Amino acid sequence: MAGIKSSPDTEISARELVFTRVFNAPRELVFKAWTEPEHVAQWWGPNGFTTTIYEMDVRPGGVWRFVMHGPDGVDYKNKIIYNEVVKPERLAYSHTGDANSEPVHFQVTVTFAGKGGKTELTMRTVFETAAELNRVVKEYGAVEGAKQHLGRLEKHLANM
Amino acid sequence: MPPDHLSSTFAALSDPTRRAILARLVSGEATVKELAEPFEMSLPAISKHLKVLERSGLIARGREAQWRPCRLEAGPLKEVADWVEHYRRFWEASFDRLDNYLRELQRKDKKHGRDKEQS
Repeated sequence: MAGIKSSPDTEISARELVFTRVFNAPRELVFKAWTEPEHVAQWWGPNGFTTTIYEMDVRPGGVWRFVMHGPDGVDYKNKIIYNEVVKPERLAYSHTGDANSEPVHFQVTVTFAGKGGKTELTMRTVFETAAELNRVVKEYGAVEGAKQHLGRLEKHLANM
Repeated sequence: MPPDHLSSTFAALSDPTRRAILARLVSGEATVKELAEPFEMSLPAISKHLKVLERSGLIARGREAQWRPCRLEAGPLKEVADWVEHYRRFWEASFDRLDNYLRELQRKDKKHGRDKEQS
């Protein structure tokens, strides 16, 4: 329990977090669900969250602007810039914050590996500095209000 | 806990030697000399790492003996673990929704057959 590993599918090494999950769907479909606005809005964020997408230009240099509406009525603005788009295997983007909110900078790389009709998704989050990480901590601190939802979901996950 | 504290904890954890030292301290107190053993490093170099860990509150050092044994302090590590847990839950929850959504899409796509994973 050195705080380096908190669960088998989550690793923290300094400024990096890695999550993996296998989805029972071909990677073309999973990639689509990540890159087409009408699909993304259906699942992004925990239960109780809704997402409004203002623009989503999935190509290198393209911008994705959206607002997450928390179940407690709090809005979270997001601005993402795509760095790398390799259909259907890889997506790299930077969270840059929005003009009206504190900028939060971190890079995410999502890889989609096909495994006999299933998809192993790996999400790697790298924070530029500890200070940035700290800012994200504060942002997510605001998500505390959603904890009940998360708790219920956790139960659900445990029963799966 | 003031937010800056968490960022100093992350900074302290960013070094592999310091993480190894913490991992060693999980199994109990140790002196600087004992901590230095597995590393090809001088005692002063190890002491520097220990100072960083001590400043961030990750370890405490005894006062009773002149070799001042080091021990792990659970508080800051727990803060980090809690935060990671929070972020992980956010994504677990999203992935869970994505999982359901993908099932839904596939059901719509292929109404003819392969319905057995509905459970």
